[in-house]
Parts: sequence; C-alpha cells; structure tokens
Amino acid sequence: MSESPETEGKRDFLKLILGGSLTVWLGSVLYPIFAFLKPPAQPEVEVSSILAGTIQEFEEANAKIVRFGRKPVIVVKLETGDLRAYEATCTHLDCTVQYRRDLGVIWCACHNGKYDMNGRVLSGPPPRPLEQFRVVQKDDDVYVTRGDES
Amino acid sequence: MTGGQPSPSTPKKDGSIWFRAYTWIDERVQLRTLVDFLGKKYVPVHSHSIWYYFGGVSLFLFIIQVLTGILLLLYYKGSEELAFESIQFIMSKVEFGWLIRSIHSWAANLFILAAMIHMFSVFFERAYRKPREITWVTGMLMFFLALGFGFSGYLLPWNELAFFATKVGTDIAGALPLIGEPLLVFLRSGEDVTGATLTRFFGFHVAVFPGIFSVLLGIHLILVQRQGMSEPFGEEGEYGKGKKTMPFFPNFLLRDLLLWLLVLNLIALLAVFFPWELGEKADPLASAPAGIKPEWYFMFMFQTLKYIPAHIGPFEGEQLGVLFFSAAGALWLIIPFLDRKSKIGQKSRLLTYAGIFIVLYIILFTIIGWMA
Amino acid sequence: MDGMTQRQVIQVSTVFFLLAGFHARGSAEEDQCFVCHSLLEDRPSVLYQSDVHRRSGISCSGCHGGDSSSDDMEQAMSEQSGFRSIPAGDEISAVCARCHSDPDAMKPFGANLPTDQFSLIRGSVHGGGSVKGGESLIQCNTCHGAHGIVRVKDKRSPVHPLNVVATCAGCHSNPAYMRTYNPSLPVDQREKYRTSVHGEKNASGDAKAAECVSCHGGHEILRAEDVRSSVYPTNVPGTCATCHGNSDYMAEYPIPTDQLETYSGSVHGQALLGKHDLAAPACNDCHGNHAATPPGIESISNVCGTCHALNADLFSKSPHKAAFDEMGLPECETCHGNHGIVAATDQLIGVSEDAVCSQCHAEDLNPAGYQFAMHISSLIDSLETEEARGTALVDDAENKGMEVGDALFRLRDVRQARFETRTIIHSFNQEECTAVFDKGFAAASFVSGEATRAIDEYYFRRIGFGISTVIITILAIALYLTIRRIERRQKEMLHT
Repeated sequence: MSESPETEGKRDFLKLILGGSLTVWLGSVLYPIFAFLKPPAQPEVEVSSILAGTIQEFEEANAKIVRFGRKPVIVVKLETGDLRAYEATCTHLDCTVQYRRDLGVIWCACHNGKYDMNGRVLSGPPPRPLEQFRVVQKDDDVYVTRGDES
Repeated sequence: MTGGQPSPSTPKKDGSIWFRAYTWIDERVQLRTLVDFLGKKYVPVHSHSIWYYFGGVSLFLFIIQVLTGILLLLYYKGSEELAFESIQFIMSKVEFGWLIRSIHSWAANLFILAAMIHMFSVFFERAYRKPREITWVTGMLMFFLALGFGFSGYLLPWNELAFFATKVGTDIAGALPLIGEPLLVFLRSGEDVTGATLTRFFGFHVAVFPGIFSVLLGIHLILVQRQGMSEPFGEEGEYGKGKKTMPFFPNFLLRDLLLWLLVLNLIALLAVFFPWELGEKADPLASAPAGIKPEWYFMFMFQTLKYIPAHIGPFEGEQLGVLFFSAAGALWLIIPFLDRKSKIGQKSRLLTYAGIFIVLYIILFTIIGWMA
Repeated sequence: MDGMTQRQVIQVSTVFFLLAGFHARGSAEEDQCFVCHSLLEDRPSVLYQSDVHRRSGISCSGCHGGDSSSDDMEQAMSEQSGFRSIPAGDEISAVCARCHSDPDAMKPFGANLPTDQFSLIRGSVHGGGSVKGGESLIQCNTCHGAHGIVRVKDKRSPVHPLNVVATCAGCHSNPAYMRTYNPSLPVDQREKYRTSVHGEKNASGDAKAAECVSCHGGHEILRAEDVRSSVYPTNVPGTCATCHGNSDYMAEYPIPTDQLETYSGSVHGQALLGKHDLAAPACNDCHGNHAATPPGIESISNVCGTCHALNADLFSKSPHKAAFDEMGLPECETCHGNHGIVAATDQLIGVSEDAVCSQCHAEDLNPAGYQFAMHISSLIDSLETEEARGTALVDDAENKGMEVGDALFRLRDVRQARFETRTIIHSFNQEECTAVFDKGFAAASFVSGEATRAIDEYYFRRIGFGISTVIITILAIALYLTIRRIERRQKEMLHT
C-alpha cells in the first residue's frame, strides 16, 4: 500500500541477506556437528594407559610395552606366572627398555643396562631399579595402575 | 482491527509450502485455535522489560546442553578406567570434539548464571504472586536440578579436582542429621567415592535429571504461555488495555532469537579462547591436591561453612550450616505462599531488602571463596 | 734348681763368680739382664745385640720390667721390682706404646719420630677382631719383630720395602689362616703382585717400586670399602699419583707422570672424583690391582669392554679390529684416548679436521672409509636437526595449549635412536648403522607431523571462530533489521 518499489527492493534484499546468512549460519553449526559424528580414524579410546591387554596376550609373548599417560610401562610375565609391571624408562638416561627372553633380563639397548625380573639392576650403568606399577587382573583383562605391589 | 494490537502473523501466501503444511496439520488437530491464542500473546514494554529475556536465555542454554550432551554421549565412556581417557579422546581425536566439550562446560556455567538472574529478577518483580505460584515452584525445582546437573556433571571427567570436590561435597551432604549418612551412601553408591559413584552420577546426569527436568520445564512453559507474561506490580491488567506492549510472535520471539544468537557467539568465543581444562586423572590413593574448590555456584555456601565454628553449643557447626541452607532453600521455594503482602497487591519492602542482602551475600562470598 | 741342665748350672755359677769379681768395678749401669741372658746365648739376647733400642741404651727391663741393675736373678725378676715377664696379646703393644705413643718420651730419640702408630693400628682393620675375644689382630712385634728391631730403612728390617711383601704374605697368603678371619678375602695378592711391573722391580731390588705399604699404608690399613681407605675407589687415583705423579721420583723410569692430571679432566675422572660415581673406573679398574700392568695392545677393547660391552663387541666384529691389530694401533685408545677420555661428541666422526676418521681415511686413500665417515656424519647431523625441529614444534604446540601426548611419547624414541646410533657406529657397517638411523628418522617425522597438525589445528580454530563470528554478525544485523522493519510495518498499520 504505502510501499514504494524502492522499499520493496530493500525488503527483498534484506530478505535475501537474512535468508542467505541464516542458511550459511545453519551450515556453520551443522558442519561441526556432522564432522563430530563421523568416527575418527582411531575409533577407540587409547585404552593402553590402564588396560594393558588380555591375559591371553601374555601367554605367547612374555612382555608387552604399553603407554601409561605419557610414560611407557613394560608388563612382564614371570616364570612363576605372576605379572609384573615396571616403568619402561631406564634409570640411566631414559631410554625405553625391552624384555630379552634369550638373556632372561629386562635390557636397555642404549648402554647395555640389565635389570632382573624384579626391576633390580643387575649390571651396567643404571643407578636405580625400575619403578614398579601395580597389576590387577579382572577376568581376562590385565590392568596396570600406579602404586607398589603390596 | 482490534485495539492496540496488530494482526497476528498469518500464513503468508496461499499455495506456499508453509500454508499447505499448516492446513494439513490444522485439519487434524485444530491448530488454528492454538495459533490464534498464541497470536494474541503480548509482552509488556516497560523499563524492566529486559528481564523478560532471561527465561528464554536459560531455556536456550539448556537446549545447548541437551544437544552437546547428546553428542558427547556418543563418545564418552562412564567407567573409572575410561572416563578420563574418553574425554581426552574427544578433545584430541574427535573432529570438533574440543569445541563440543568446551561449549558443554561453558554453557553449563552460563546456564546456571542465567537461571539465577532469571530467578532473582522474578523475585524482585514479585512475578511469583498469584496466579503464578506453581510457575515459581517448578522454576525453583528446576534450579535445584540445575545445581544437581552441575554437581553430577562435574565428576564425569574423573579428574583430580572433580574427584576431591565430589568427596568434599558428598561429605557435606552427609553432615545432615538423621538422613545424612544414608544420603551419603546413596549418592556415593557406597561409603567412598569410587567408580560406582561415577556410574551413578552418570545415570543421574543423563537420565534421571533430564527426565524430571523436562516434565518441570513442560509445566513451566505451558503455564507461561497460558498465563502470559507477568506485568509490573500495581499495573496488572493495564497492559492488555492500552499500555505499551509488543506481540510475542514475531517481535519478542525474534528479539529473543537475536539475543540467543549473540549468546551462542559468546559461548563459541569462550570455547575457542578459554578451552575447558582436563587436568590430571583422579587417583583415589593420592592425597588431595591443594586448592580444591567447588564450582562458583556452590562457593558461597562452601565459604560460609568454612566460617562457621566447629561447634556451636551442643551442635556441630557444619551440621547447623547445612541445615540452615536447606531450610533457607525450602523457604525460598515456598515464598509465593509466604509473601502475604503480594497477595494484597503490596510490595513487601522487607522482602526487597532481604533479596538485596541475599544477592550481595552470594556475590561477596563467591568472590571471597575464589580469592582464598 | 728346677729343670735346669747341668751345663746351665755350670754356666750360671761361672757367671756368678765372674760377676762377683767384676762387681767391685762399679758396672751398675750395665744391663744385667742382657749380660746374663747373653751368656745363656738365648735367642732374644742374640737378636737384641743388633736391636736399635739397645743402641739407644734401653735395657731388657725397659719392656719386661724388673731391675736391670741387679745381678741377683731373684731380685731382678721379682714382682716387687716390677718384672712383667713375657707380655702376651694386647699387652705387647701396650708395652711398646708406653714410649712410642708418648711424644715427650720419644723426643730425645728424634723430634720427627711419629707417635701415632698405636692409635692408627687400633683404628685400622687389624685393630681388633682377634679370635681371642676383643684383642687386636696383630701386635707391634707381628711385623717389626720383638728383639731384633731395626729401622725401616735397614735392609734387615722385616718392614723394609724389599722385605715387607713377605711379611704381609706371612698371613695374607695363607688360605687356612685367613679363612679364620675373612673367608672371602683373596689370598693370591703376592702371586699377582709378582707378575706386575711393581712386583718384578721389587724382586730385583728396586726399593722405590710400590709394595704393600705404598698403597695400603702401614699402620692405618683400612678395608677397600672404607671411605677413608687409601684404596677406596675415589682415593685410588691420588694414591697411585703419590709416585706416578711425582716427576722427580719417577725420573729414572721411562713413563709419563701426567696421568692423574689428564685423568682428572676426563669423563671418568670427573665422574669418579667429581660426582663420586663408583661406577666410573679408577686406575686399578683398567690396570689391575696387584697385577698392575698397562693392558696389551690387542686387549684394550676387552678392558674397556668390561663396562662398554656393546661398543667393544661391535668393534671386535668390525673391519677396524683386524686393521688396528695389524698396524699395532691400540683399539679404543686410538680414537678415544686412554687417561684423558672426554665425552665423545658428534664431531669425532666425519671428514673434517677434528674428526678422527681423517687421521687415516682420505678421499683418495682408503676411500671406502672416507665415504662411510662422510655419510654417517651427515646422518648424525640430520638426526640431530630433526630432533631439534620436532622438539621445537612440540613445544610450540604445547604452549598453544594443544594436546600432543602422542608426539611427546614418540620424541623419546628419537632421543633413544640418537643414543643407539652412537653405539652402532662401532660396527662401522653401513647397513647396521642406517637401520638405526632410519628408526630415528621415522620417529622424528611422526613427531614433526603430529606437532605441525596440532599447530595447524590451533590456527584453524581461531580462523574458524573468526569466520563464524562474521557469519553470526551478518545474520544478527539482518535479523535486527528484519525486526525493525516488522515493527515499523506494525506501527504503520496501526496508524492507517
């Protein structure tokens, strides 16, 4: 009625801007949501910080290195069948140790440090034994937590 | 034209998709009656109109919480072993996981803040007076639930601060006489805070509380729609007959939406520039870290309890403190029924002063608690 | 006369009558004990003839008590005159100490004479622990003798440098005897010692060569595990240097005297002497204790290999072993030195002037080794650069608040690879070395990749926020204008 072609034009323009920005905005909201819903490349939570694996895994290999937060932890199975867990950081210069079945020791590749299966230093440069972690077995799952074996 | 009221928004064009959809539904549920009713809804325009927006902001923030909460549910694992790691996973491996999680944490705090502002503005305006007593009660119950949401949700990351804050918080709940001990065991799902506590809190947070909250919210909203916006003291009824108003649809709603848009941007800003921290995983065997504090919305009560002496006469100071706050909360809940002056159309000055005191007290003790 | 032989009776009587005659001559100063016992020609008096105490005018009663001026046996050896008969056990040393621990008593005989022997013995490993409850293991006479005591410098003394080895070995080489006191203590020290340079020189009459006392001390001998002992690991370099660092003392021997100085600046010396790290070698760990000898040229890597096992093993399998033996080069020492070993740096390998490789290898001479050195040197530098780059990126990402746990974890592997490369180099085998380096490079590239992704994500978030703010702003303005327009229209409709 009291609208000039000019105002009509403005109205259409505003409508266009409103509609357009609304659509773009909706897109900017929905895009993150859909991206979120897409499962990431690594679909499972990194369970290795606590759940070290299943008891069956230790039947074959006798030791496994898992990640506990930011540190590596080596879980070894003794001849007696007990499971022990130690921080896999060598106390000499922080290299990651490994289990050597042929030598029967926990061995550090950097400077030939050797620890026995109780984490105590046998020979080489390491000054202190390996820090011990607690191993708990629930059904078939093997868990590693902080704290000493009591 | 009806006096002082522009015509309601009707479907625009015949044959447009909106019109066809509208007619389709109308033929089945008589939508028209509802639409007409809603179309008449108005919002008084006066110097205190700004407070009307806070109910909507609270609602918006709650919706944000539900949406982000559902998204987080798709990746969160609520067990002692995995909770912390699952949130780490969301923060680092899931695309935009950091954003969803930080939004959820920030919006939780803003939700409670908006709800408090809403609550106090209603209080000072005495909007709870007849006929809106039930609206107040449902609102207060929702507020208590919101605090419950906050307390239960805080534990879910299972980090050090949360673990000890929950320990302290449930200890305080356990200080209540008679019901304290069974309440503590019920909350903790045992004597101590363990993985069982986490599971229970998770259940509260995603099922129990949302269920109850939705019912209360439904009642609250229906009442607001049915009864319309409350008008300032002493001017009841005048707004329908000449004093300045604006239609709820589309004016107030669009303004509401605009505000919601800005709040959304604020939350995004907070999420990007002040991401919510995760901290260290909880270790029940380790000693409590320094500086455990409850979230800011519990701080004033926590700080008050700290100042109460250990014993007052034959009673334990903490017990009295908890009882006091419980009683205060109960009184606050039934204020519409206690405020006799409002029933006869008078604003009780005593209540206004009490309200100001309470607000200042909360602000002061929250600040003291944060500085300590 | 109880149990005396007829011969002795005649002798005593003869003496008595002779003395009775000589008595008027006023020989009251003479040591009557000695006079009488010499006529008896018993062993103590025969020995005492050359004793340094007799030369200084001390009579038998000086130790045994009694009255040495009396020629009446009963009076001279009576209890009233203070006769103590033959002292036994700790009494012996107590008797010696009466004078030898008293500075005033010793002054007339020499102002520089030590007077602390007794207290040192008491505090030493020999002071106590006798099988006869509580008594000292040895007494003064155990080593010095009783009646024929001469000065240490006297070639007849059992504690003269050329004789002291036999004296100590009297107990210490006797397995049955030592078993009573310390079954785990070795008893082959003398045997080993005789194979050493010190032992050979000592056997051929060189009193300057080290013997038992030179290293272990005389009276103050302590166990090697005792921190105060002169042969405690941190004290060994100083003990050896007492001779080997003294260029005047060593003038006649064709060996250098700067070993202690060089060693103290070395990585082993700083570890042992500076940080008291007992894992570091002292002189005896490489040269041996009692059988001290510089290791032979072909066996140096075995000596170093007792601790540096991996490196020694790799070296002995490498082409350098045969080559060095052929050229008479002392294995590890050729590149690393012997006393003055410093921490090996990356500059040691390569083709530059500082590098040891260039001492033998040149582009036109032994080119295979030259190429290898050049290649490895560049790999070392690359890995170091990659580690630094990765660390810097991870630090940047962390400072920006991004989660880089995985990358930090893998950084350890890069660091470890750098350690392992320093060892594997001793194989001088291209394949083995490259394998270890590749491990390091793989880990480093993972780290850099992750850290870069984290940093990119950081900027992505901020840019994303900026864009969404722009969108929201536009939408908000559009919405606001729409509201205004609606309200204007409503107002217009009101007024029409």
